[in-house]
Parts: sequence; C-alpha cells; structure tokens
Amino acid sequence: MAVHSMTLPATILRDAARATLAPTKRLADRVASSLDQDLPIIERCLKGDEAAWEHLIKSYTRHVYALCYRFTGSGSEAQDLTQEVFLRVFSTLRSFRAGQGTFAVWLTRLARNLLIDHYRRSKLQRLSDPLEEQLPKLEDQAHAASRTDHLLAGREASEVLQTALAKLSPELRETAILRDLQGLEYREIAAVLKVPEGTVKSRLNRGRAELARTLRRYGVLP
Amino acid sequence: MKCAELEGLICDYVEATLSAVERQLVEAHLQSCEACRALVRDARAALAFTRKAPPVEPPPELLTRLLFLVPSHCDPGAAQASGARARVAAWFRPILQPRFAMGMAMTILSVSIVARVAGITPRQLTPTDLHPARVWQAVDDKVHRVCERVRKFYLSLRLVYEIQTQLHEWSQQLREQDAAAAARDSDAPVLPSRGPESNGFPLSQDQAEPKAKGGTKQ
Repeated sequence: MAVHSMTLPATILRDAARATLAPTKRLADRVASSLDQDLPIIERCLKGDEAAWEHLIKSYTRHVYALCYRFTGSGSEAQDLTQEVFLRVFSTLRSFRAGQGTFAVWLTRLARNLLIDHYRRSKLQRLSDPLEEQLPKLEDQAHAASRTDHLLAGREASEVLQTALAKLSPELRETAILRDLQGLEYREIAAVLKVPEGTVKSRLNRGRAELARTLRRYGVLP
Repeated sequence: MKCAELEGLICDYVEATLSAVERQLVEAHLQSCEACRALVRDARAALAFTRKAPPVEPPPELLTRLLFLVPSHCDPGAAQASGARARVAAWFRPILQPRFAMGMAMTILSVSIVARVAGITPRQLTPTDLHPARVWQAVDDKVHRVCERVRKFYLSLRLVYEIQTQLHEWSQQLREQDAAAAARDSDAPVLPSRGPESNGFPLSQDQAEPKAKGGTKQ
C-alpha cells in the first residue's frame, strides 16, 4: 500500500499532463449504455484499479462540471463542486447498487444533491448581498449581448443563457439543465430528482416558458 | 381534452417526438387554446436558444486536480482483504496515513527533546523516576543548570567582557574625579593651590607682609 501511495501521484501527474478528456458524448447515450459500459469499470475501481479510476474520472468530468457550471453560473464554484462530487464518489462508490439504476443516474443524483446543498448554503449569502448590487451586473451583461437581429454567437448565447438560467427557481433550473443541456431522458430525470415523470414534464414546460420570457426581456428572442 | 391533460404531451410535441396520432391530438387542442399555443411557442423558442449554446468545457487543470485526488481515496487492498484482516486494516488505515506518520514522528521528537532537557534517559528509567516529585526535581535541577550555563556563556562573550571592562574603567575614573574634587574642596581655604594673584584681586597688606618678613630673615 505504501509503495502504491508513493508511486501513484507521479504516475497520475505525468498522465494528467497529457491527458485529454473523453470524446464528447451525450450523457443520455452514456445512461442508455452504462449498464454494459460502466459496471466493469466500477468493479475495477472498487478493487483499487488506478487506471479504472482515471477512466471513470475522464469519462464523467465533463458532464459533472457542465451540470455544476450551468447550475451555479460560476467557473470556480463549478470546479470546487465537481471536485466535491468526485470526492463523494471516491468515498461512497461502494453504496452504488447496479440494480437501483445506472451509474450515470447515481452520479447525477449525487451531483444534484450537492448542488442543492450548495444552493441552500449560499442562499444566506445571496440574501445578505443587496439584490440591487447583483441584478444590474447580470442584466447589463445580458443586454450588452442583445442584438437587434436576435442572432448571437455561440459563446454569447451561452453567457446570456447562463444569466437567464440563474433567474429560474432551482426546481425549474435543474430540470431544464438535465433535459435540454445534459440530454437525459424523462425517466432518468425522474429517477435523479425522485419525482414522477409527469412532474418532470410539467416543470420542463414551465422552465422553458419562463426562460423564453427572460430571453425576450433581454432582447435575444423575437 | 383539457390543458392539464395535454401538459405531458407538449414537451414531446415541442421536441417533435410524438406519434402522428398524438401530434394531431395536440394540434387540434392548440387551435382552440391560446394559452397552450403561447406555451408551445415559448418552449420552442427557449429550446432552440438552449441548443445554440456550445457545450461547457471543464478547464484542463480540473482533470489534473481530480486525478491527483485518487490516491488518497483509492485503496487497492481494501477490496481484496476480507474478514478479520479487513477489520484490522480498516482500524489501522487512518493511522497509516502520511500525515499521521509525520505527526507521530514530531510528537516523539518533542517528547525526546523534553526528556533530554529534563535529564530523563530511557535506558536508566525506573518506576520511581516517574513520580511527579522526582520528575519536577529533575526538571528544576536541569533548568537551573541550563540557566547557569547560559549565564556563563553570556559572561564569557568577548563583547560582554569589553563592555564590562569599559564600564568599570569609566566608573573608576568617575570615582577618582569625585575623590579629587572632594580633596580640593577641603584643602582650598588653608592651602590655595595657586598664587595670590591668580584670583584676579590684589593682595591685602596683611597677606603681603609675612612674605616680606620671611624675605628679610633670609
């Protein structure tokens, strides 16, 4: 064990230097195939296989980070939360039961619970900051990006979308992110949020409508 | 069909994943319901805008950080160990962490330094040496010895010696000056040290006379 602990960081750092993230793949695709794809990896992880851990991290970093970033709207917070999610995975992977859903859903639920915890923790801080100080900055950002022809480049669209998402309630925001940005199926979202599929669809309709109204206010939708 | 019943289908209608029959059902309702038409219009617009946004890319350093976290949480022996061995390993796992090893080493070092200062040598240690009074006596004795050594060392420093010598000389000079001044003050009325003219006043008749008389005798 001591030898393993001494040699592992150097190996990982060397590999990480040339590491590239796994090719982009929709989370829904991973969810659909994760029963076949992730279970052997998880078994290897539980046996302490370093390469399996690396594979798991590389496969899911993009998804977890995107979820955290879209929910919080902050790169640094998203990084910290992603790290927190994986720390939780390292310590609780044994509690994952293959029969109770796919690993992707389990991981997404874990990330979502941490995000909600973070939202509640930071709620007091947000309340203590005067709203007048926050809103002008966000809305100026959005209005600066607005165009008369309602056409935005990808990066600008992403920033405006982020500002508009921040206006949604946590329930509507997480549903919209999981479906429209992460690409999960309704049943998977229902499993992550532990609500019926009908509730997921209802929240999604309301979330999309509210998002459209906000984007229209920013002048990026006709 | 009521709006609430249609709500579940609107999501799929917006995403164009409905069957032909369901689509006709929804479209029939939309022709007569302005609220649902607005909902579909907004949902479509939001979905189209959301799909324009590029995927979020994590910074490369995040992956490095995550990979670096693996060793402290990945225990290759845990899965293989079983039964009593696993339980024993689980007990000792926190202790075998590098941070605890370092803490333990620092504790042993600190205790050994204190023991050395207190004059306690483990080889000669007997149960009576652990009595509080004995320990206190040993510590007190050692502290006094150390203080004395420090004092001697300080006094033997060249700089301290030179300062002391200089101070001694200065005090000696002051004492001599004081003694000389005292002697002057006591002798001045009887034996003036200087001539009678030195004070700037001419000698009186009585003062000049003995000199003249002495001079006649000789």
